[in-house]
Amino acid sequence: MRRVVLYETFERLWHWAQAVMIILMMLTGFEIRGLGIHLFGFQSAVSLHNILAIALITLIVFAIFWHVTTGEWRQYIPTRKFLREMVAFYLTGIFKGAPHPVKKHRMAKLNPLQRLAYLGFKVLILPVQATTGALYYFYPNLQHAMGWSPSSLWVVAVVHVLGAFGLVAFLIGHVYLTTTGHTPLTNIKAMITGWEDIQDDAYFEES
Amino acid sequence: MHHKSRTRAHSWLSRMYLAVLCHMVIPLTMAQAQQANQPAPPGHGSFTAVHAAKGRRLTADHSKFLILKGPFKEGDGPAVTRACLTCHTKAAQQVMATSHWTWNASKDGKDGYGKATSLVNNYCISIIGGNTEGCARCHAGYGLKNKDFDFTRQESVDCLVCHDTTGDYEKEKGGWPNPAVPLAEVAQKVGAPTNRNCGVCHFFGGGGDATKHGDLDDTILKAPRLEDVHMSKQGAGMDCVDCHVSDAHQLGGPNYVIPADRREQSKFPGENLSRMSCASCHSDSPHKSYILNRHYQKVACQTCHIPAFARGTLPTNTYWDWATAGRLKNGRGYKEEDANGFETYNSIHGEMVWQRNVKPTYEWYNGNLQFLRLTDTITIPASGKVVLNPAAGSYADPNAKIWPFKFHEGSQPYDTVLNRFVAPYTSGPKGSGAFWGDWNWDVAIRMGMETAGLPYSGKYGFVKTSMLWPITHMVAPKEQALNCVECHSRNGRLANVPGFYLIGRDRGTGIDKIGIGMVLLTLLGVGIHGYIRYTNVRH
Repeated sequence: MRRVVLYETFERLWHWAQAVMIILMMLTGFEIRGLGIHLFGFQSAVSLHNILAIALITLIVFAIFWHVTTGEWRQYIPTRKFLREMVAFYLTGIFKGAPHPVKKHRMAKLNPLQRLAYLGFKVLILPVQATTGALYYFYPNLQHAMGWSPSSLWVVAVVHVLGAFGLVAFLIGHVYLTTTGHTPLTNIKAMITGWEDIQDDAYFEES
Repeated sequence: MHHKSRTRAHSWLSRMYLAVLCHMVIPLTMAQAQQANQPAPPGHGSFTAVHAAKGRRLTADHSKFLILKGPFKEGDGPAVTRACLTCHTKAAQQVMATSHWTWNASKDGKDGYGKATSLVNNYCISIIGGNTEGCARCHAGYGLKNKDFDFTRQESVDCLVCHDTTGDYEKEKGGWPNPAVPLAEVAQKVGAPTNRNCGVCHFFGGGGDATKHGDLDDTILKAPRLEDVHMSKQGAGMDCVDCHVSDAHQLGGPNYVIPADRREQSKFPGENLSRMSCASCHSDSPHKSYILNRHYQKVACQTCHIPAFARGTLPTNTYWDWATAGRLKNGRGYKEEDANGFETYNSIHGEMVWQRNVKPTYEWYNGNLQFLRLTDTITIPASGKVVLNPAAGSYADPNAKIWPFKFHEGSQPYDTVLNRFVAPYTSGPKGSGAFWGDWNWDVAIRMGMETAGLPYSGKYGFVKTSMLWPITHMVAPKEQALNCVECHSRNGRLANVPGFYLIGRDRGTGIDKIGIGMVLLTLLGVGIHGYIRYTNVRH
């Protein structure tokens, strides 16, 4: 066992800023949608939602730069190794107190399921939300310029809203799975302080 | 252009009482009140600035002109006009080219829109069925009573109705001046038209104050800022003619021919005849927010900035049911009034409804109201209601915007064989054949149509009708503008405006159910997983 900095300062700032922004975008988004949330008022909700969108995209640009320059993007390369074991762990092993099948390592801190989930989040859900959001915002201009039907905005709306519900589901699963660490709060503490205890004989060296 | 105060001066006693109150009892509150009474500082749109500029508008003191000293015979309007024409040699001809004189506006190159034509409405229906003389009280001329009126006679033009500044000028039937009007005095004090000049007719459309338009009534003359931010003395203190600018007596903004808010705006006042768009003063992007400014493409300014019409103290007529007119008690007509003294029934009109603070109806509108006329064949739709002037426009129409309208409903007589509206002869004494004298629709319609020179089959019935009246006056201060959710909500004000996806209104509930289901399933899965973990750990 060894205590290492698993999450760099930028990484933690990025994570928590993104978390706050996405949660605020959910709240404002569902208020605009008219799902019975009345936190900001429609006009402020719209303004905040749009400002947050710009802020989040800016943050993501910085995050991409960080991932590329540090090589950390490799953490998200999907792998089948231990995938079956991970699924089995969550379905049965975890209930019997079985050990985690994948050991964390500084250079491989994500298990294969996390890799898939976060990669999907980054290359699928966020881009879809950003694209449909931009289409939504500029629809009057685009509709005019491209000769689209004024009623077809519903297509954009449906995709954007499904993405939003997907994000809520992701958030629920994500928060729950943080409790599956050594103790229920181990993972969250690590994401706050950056430090986590890891074992030296991690699978990364074996492979 | 200060209006002569019609209120009586305080008596000496009450002034004394006030003085005591001010100086000895409540000096502090009075000081505050005085502060509040100070005129707004000169600046953009302030009462002082606008009126200071108006003082410069006149270049002549008309009391210096000998010819205006008269004397004029009682009620001899044409003599005054002849005097005016000695200097303003072209004025009468200019007026004669306007719809204020012809009561006939051309639209799309075709004549026939205006009071003197076969245009029909569902208030007083039409003036050409023998009612012209009474209605000519509002004609900018002298002597109009039937089709024989000479529209080319210059001295018949009434200069004073628009240019009187004393408030003493009054017209009677046929448009003649009330004989009691001191014509020489009025003539020597002429000036640019004020709200009152326009208001003596335009506030009283439909036969009474506030009746017809909904956004025009005489409460505007003393409106608080909340009622009309432009016309109120506490607001911009503007006059009608500040927006309805004129060129050679041709005024901007006639309803029949000028689209109210087109894309091709005049960019500065006076660039073309009409200064009728908000944008010619406010620009097409007056908000700080890009999103609000973008609404300008499809939403008229009036839609958000006139949250309701008839916002003064007077209600406007929203329902006029001619089919119920003519009920008699002991052979005589009678009236019934609501708690505020407004007629809910009058034998001469039928049942009526009066409303204040009315939410407008919203429609796509490109400035073209497609008026039905007495000469048009009507088809009664399944709903049984004929729209007399449907608004043209749609989302796809680049000139159309969502506009607020006063929706006026009622019923009126029509020819059941020819399927045309009819113009009954309504206003006349017993024995004249007029409906209000003899209560006989068949005779009144027969006489009216004969006077109008239009055919009548002899069979009449009543049909429900509705009209749209564009709302553009009584603009509220910006803090009273509509909130987003007034329209961006499920059953908001635009619930029935078709042709586009409106955020907040058109969300698909199916998608929401799928999404919420997805979230609930996730919660369920997480809950079951967590529960099993928890119970196993305890073992």
